[in-house]
Amino acid sequence: MPMPAALDRENPSVLVMPGPGLPAFDYVRASKPDEVCDLLLQHGDNARLLMGGTDILVLMRDGVLAPKILIDVKHLPGMTTISFDPAGGLRLGAAVSMNTMTAHPAVKQHYPLLAEAAQAVASYQLRTRATMGGNLCNASPAADTAPAALVLNARCVTWGPDGERIIPVGAFFRGPKQNVLMPGEFLAFIDVPIPPPGWVGRYIKLGRNAGGDLAIVGVAVLGYPDANAASGCRFRIALASVAPTPIRVPEAEAILANMPITGETLERAAPAAQAAARPIDDLRGSARYRKAMTRNLTRRALDDVWAGLRKEG
Amino acid sequence: MKEKAFVIGQSVRRLDAVGKVIGEALYPGDIDMEDQLWMKIRMSDRVHARVTAIDTRQAEAYPGVVAVLTATDVPVNEYGLIMPDQPVLCGPGSSKAGADIVRCISDQVALVIAESEETAAVAADLIEITYEDLPAVVDVMQAIADGAPQLHAHAKNNVLNHYRIRHGDINAGWEQAEVIVEGEYHTGYQEHVYLQPEAGLGYIDDEKRVTVVVAGQHAHEDREQVAHALGLPEEQVRIVYPAIGGAFGGREDMSIQIALALAAWKLQRPVKVVWSREESIIGHHKRHPFTIRARWGATREGKLVAAEAEVYADAGAYAYTSTKVTGNAHLMVNGPYEIPNVKVDTYGVYTNNIPCGAFRGFGGPQGAFAAEGQMNKLADALGMDPVQIRALNVLEEGSITSVGTPLPPGVTLSKVLAEGAAQSDYWHKTGAGWARISPTEQPTTPAKRRGIGMAMGFKNIGFSFGAPEENWATVEIHGDAKIERVVVREAGADVGQGAHTVFAQMVADGVGVPLDKVEVIGHDTAETDNSGSSSASRMTFMAGNAIKTAAEQALEKWRSEQRPAVATYRYVPPKTTPYDPETGRANPNFAYGYMAQFVEVEVDIETGHIDVVRVVSAHDVGRAINPQQIEGQIEGAVVQALGYAIMENLVVKDGRIQNPFLSTYLIPTIWDIPRETKSVILEYADPRGPWGARGMAEMPFIPLAPAIVAALHDATGIWFDHIPLTPESVVSRLREHNIGVI
Repeated sequence: MPMPAALDRENPSVLVMPGPGLPAFDYVRASKPDEVCDLLLQHGDNARLLMGGTDILVLMRDGVLAPKILIDVKHLPGMTTISFDPAGGLRLGAAVSMNTMTAHPAVKQHYPLLAEAAQAVASYQLRTRATMGGNLCNASPAADTAPAALVLNARCVTWGPDGERIIPVGAFFRGPKQNVLMPGEFLAFIDVPIPPPGWVGRYIKLGRNAGGDLAIVGVAVLGYPDANAASGCRFRIALASVAPTPIRVPEAEAILANMPITGETLERAAPAAQAAARPIDDLRGSARYRKAMTRNLTRRALDDVWAGLRKEG
Repeated sequence: MKEKAFVIGQSVRRLDAVGKVIGEALYPGDIDMEDQLWMKIRMSDRVHARVTAIDTRQAEAYPGVVAVLTATDVPVNEYGLIMPDQPVLCGPGSSKAGADIVRCISDQVALVIAESEETAAVAADLIEITYEDLPAVVDVMQAIADGAPQLHAHAKNNVLNHYRIRHGDINAGWEQAEVIVEGEYHTGYQEHVYLQPEAGLGYIDDEKRVTVVVAGQHAHEDREQVAHALGLPEEQVRIVYPAIGGAFGGREDMSIQIALALAAWKLQRPVKVVWSREESIIGHHKRHPFTIRARWGATREGKLVAAEAEVYADAGAYAYTSTKVTGNAHLMVNGPYEIPNVKVDTYGVYTNNIPCGAFRGFGGPQGAFAAEGQMNKLADALGMDPVQIRALNVLEEGSITSVGTPLPPGVTLSKVLAEGAAQSDYWHKTGAGWARISPTEQPTTPAKRRGIGMAMGFKNIGFSFGAPEENWATVEIHGDAKIERVVVREAGADVGQGAHTVFAQMVADGVGVPLDKVEVIGHDTAETDNSGSSSASRMTFMAGNAIKTAAEQALEKWRSEQRPAVATYRYVPPKTTPYDPETGRANPNFAYGYMAQFVEVEVDIETGHIDVVRVVSAHDVGRAINPQQIEGQIEGAVVQALGYAIMENLVVKDGRIQNPFLSTYLIPTIWDIPRETKSVILEYADPRGPWGARGMAEMPFIPLAPAIVAALHDATGIWFDHIPLTPESVVSRLREHNIGVI
C-alpha cells in the first residue's frame, strides 16, 4: 500500500494530510548488542531504534519516516541503568528516561546541570518516555540536553560492528538531525566525567511559552576555579538552537579565561557568544531575535554561574 | 405543594462529570457502527482557482474504495450560516453557478469513502484536480482597493458588509474635544483548539432519516443546512449530538456535517470521519483579524465628546457569521460609554484567506481592544486614573448608546466597575474619586518590570440585529400521587460548559423536586424543538426562560391532575432591530452582561516574555445558577484570552496556514496561566432573565487583552497596539523606545 504523503512541520507551504495512525512495522525486542548491529546493517534505513519513541513515533505518524522495523533496545544490558563512580563519573544508559535521570540521587547530587537541562525538555509526561540518548541521537540543533552534555565534556559510548567507540559529544553532531554514527552502530551509554572541583552550572532555555516549546535559544554555562587561568576561573559555554548543531563557544570562553572576572568581562563575553551564533529564521523566532537572545541569556547564565562561584569560593 | 428545592445558586456537581472523568462519555469519534465506511475529505490545494477537471479514476479503482463524491453529486451545492455563499464541494458540473471555484485552502473538493480509514486517506491523494489559477487577494486593504480580484458577485470590491454610525454631530464633538488620542489597532487570528477535533458518523436511521452524529452548537440549524444542501425536507434529516468536546463558536458553521450526510445518503451505509488536529485547524474558521483606526476626544475633565473609528475585519473567503461578528465590533468599538458624537464605519471584507467566524466574544474582543486602548490612553493623556475616567463615562440606566437607543433595563456597569475595582486590591475610592492604592512595586531584578492595568466591557446576550430568536422547552412531570420523575426536553447544546446541569437545576427549582428526579433529554432533533445555538452567552438566559415557564405550566397541569403533566413553552425575547444603513440607529440587543478586569503583569524587557501574575475578573451575572460553573467559565476564558493576547500566533502566508500544529501554534500551558484568577461574581438581577440570570460565558474573554496592554504600559511606559504580544514582538517594540536594548 502506498504511503500517504509526508507532512513537513517546519515548512507546510503545501500541506498534505498524513494518514491516520502509524504505518505498519515489525517490532523487535533486542537482547544482545550484536543483534542490533546485525539488524541495522541488514535493513539499513528501513530499521530504526526505539527508545522513548517520542520523536520516531511522531515522524512515523506524520509520514516522514516509514521504517519497516523498530528495534527496541531498552532491554539490552545497561541501557536503562545509571551508575556512578566517584573516580570515573557517571554512566547513563542511552535509554534511561529523562525523569528517571533527573530523579537519580547521583545526578541530583553531582550533576544538577544535567537535571536542569533535562527538565527543560517538553513536559513531564513526555519526559517519562523521552531519553537523553534519543535527544542526542536525534541531533536537533534545539536539543536541550546537548549544551549541558557539551560543557560537561560528556562522551558517547557506541557499539557497532567493529565494537565499542568513544566519541566526545562535541564531535557527535554532523548537522541538523545528523550524527556521526556509522552503519550498524548505535549509542549505548553516555559517560559524564567528574566535573572540576568547585564547579557551578546553569542551563537557561528560552521558548515562546513557559513550558513545552522547543528552544528558541538554549545556553549552558559551566564555571570552575582554575589557578592556571589568568582570571582564576574557567567557563565553558554551549548554545542550542542557534547553529546547525549545538555548539561550544571557545571565543567567549577565552575572554573569560584571560581577563579578571568583572561585570565588564561578563558583559564582553556575551557578545562573543552572540557572534558565534548562526541562527535561522523560523516560526519560533527570527535570526535577529535569536542572536540578541543568545547575548542576553549568555549574560544571564554567566551572572548566575559567577554568583554561584563566588558563593562557593 | 411545591417544596423548596434550593438548587438554584448551588454549585451542584456536573451531571456529566463522572462519565467524562472515567471515560464512559462517548464523543463523536468514539462511536462506531457495524458495516461503517470511512471518509477522507480532500481539500483545495489552491487559494483561488477554477477547478476545470477532477480525475477520480485512480482513486475509484483503488482497492477498498467504495465511492468518490464531487460537486456533481451535491443536490444543492451551496451552504452558509448567514448566506449560502460556499459550495459544499467545489468543482465543475455543479448545480450552482460559481461552485467550480475554490476560494481558500479549506474549500472541500472531493469525498473519498472507503472500507478503511487508511484506504480513504491513500485514495484521496490519488484524485487529480486540474486547476486554472485565478489572481488571489489575501490582504484586506488590497481587497477593497479598485482593481482587486473579486471573490463574489454579490460583494463589490469584496465588501461583504459596511455598517455606519452617525450619532450626534462629530464635527461639533471634535470642537469640544480638549484632548484627542489616536491609535491603529491590530488583532490576530485565533484558533479554537477545542479538545475534540471534528469527528462524526452519518447513517440512515430506522425512520429513513439521514442522521448525522456530530458535535455542534445548534442541532436544528445543522439540520436546516444539511437538508438544504441535500435538497431534502428538514424532517428527513436528523442531527444527534453525543458528548461535545468544546466549541467556543468553532462549531457554529458546517465542517464535516454536510459531507457525512451526503455520503450516508448516497451510499445508504454508515460513514465515519475523524479529522486530525491539523485538518481541524485548517478545516474550520478562525477568529477574525481586525484593523481598527480610532480617534477619541474628551474634555479636560475627562468627559468623552467624540469617537471616530474605521473597522476592517478579514472575513476570509466566505461569509460564515462575519456580518454579525462585525456588527458586534461596530457597537463595542465605542466601549460601554456614553459618547454624544460618534462616527464609525465597519467593513467585513472577503479575501482568499481562511474563513473567519464565531469565536467566544464574537467581535467583542476586537472592538474592546481598540475602545479600552483608547480609554486607557485618554486617562494617561489627561493624567487621570483609568477607573475614575470610566466611572465618569459609563452608560447608566437610560443613557443613550452610540446607536441612538438606551441599553435594556438593568444597566450595572458602574456597579461592576466599582465593586471590581474595590475587590481588585489595587484601587480604592478616595474623596477625589478612584485612585491606585499604591504605585506598582517593582521587582529587584532590573530586567523585570511589573505593571497593573484594567479594562472593562459589555457584551450582548442572545442573537442581535433583528435575527429570529427563540427557545423551546418541554417539561414532563411523571408519577401518580407523588412526582416520580421530571423530564425536560431542551435541545440546547452542552458543549462542555455544563448547560445540561443548569437546565436540570432550573427544572428542579421550577417544579420543586430534588435534582436526582430530573432527566434532561436533549441533543437530538428527533426528540426536541429548536433551542437556538449555544453561543452569544445565551443558553442559560434563553433556555432558562423557556424552562421556567414550561415548568410552571406543567406544575399547574400536575395540580389539575393531568398524568403525565406536560407543558411546552416557546420563549421569545423582546425584538431587536438591525442597524439603520445610514445612521446605525438600532435596538441591537435585548440583554447584556457587564464586566471589568484588573490585571498585574511582569514583563522581562530583555526577552519580551510577559507573565500575567494575577487577574481579577468582575462580572454581573444577574443570578449565579451554579457558581462553580461560573468560576470555571471565568478561569477558562481568562486562559483563552491570555493565549489570544500574548501567545497564539497563527501565521498565514499567501492564504496558507504555516503552523497548523500544536507544536508551532502555541496555547497557554499550566506554566503560562495566571498564578491567581480571582472571580468577583455580582448578582444584580436582569429583569428579563430567568431567576434574574444573565449570560456570562464570553464576558471574561473580552477585556483581558486591553487590560494586559494597560499593565504593560504601567510597567514600561509604552503602548502596544498589536496582539498577540509575542516575546519577539514585545522586544522589537521596546527596542524602538530604547528599553531593554543591548
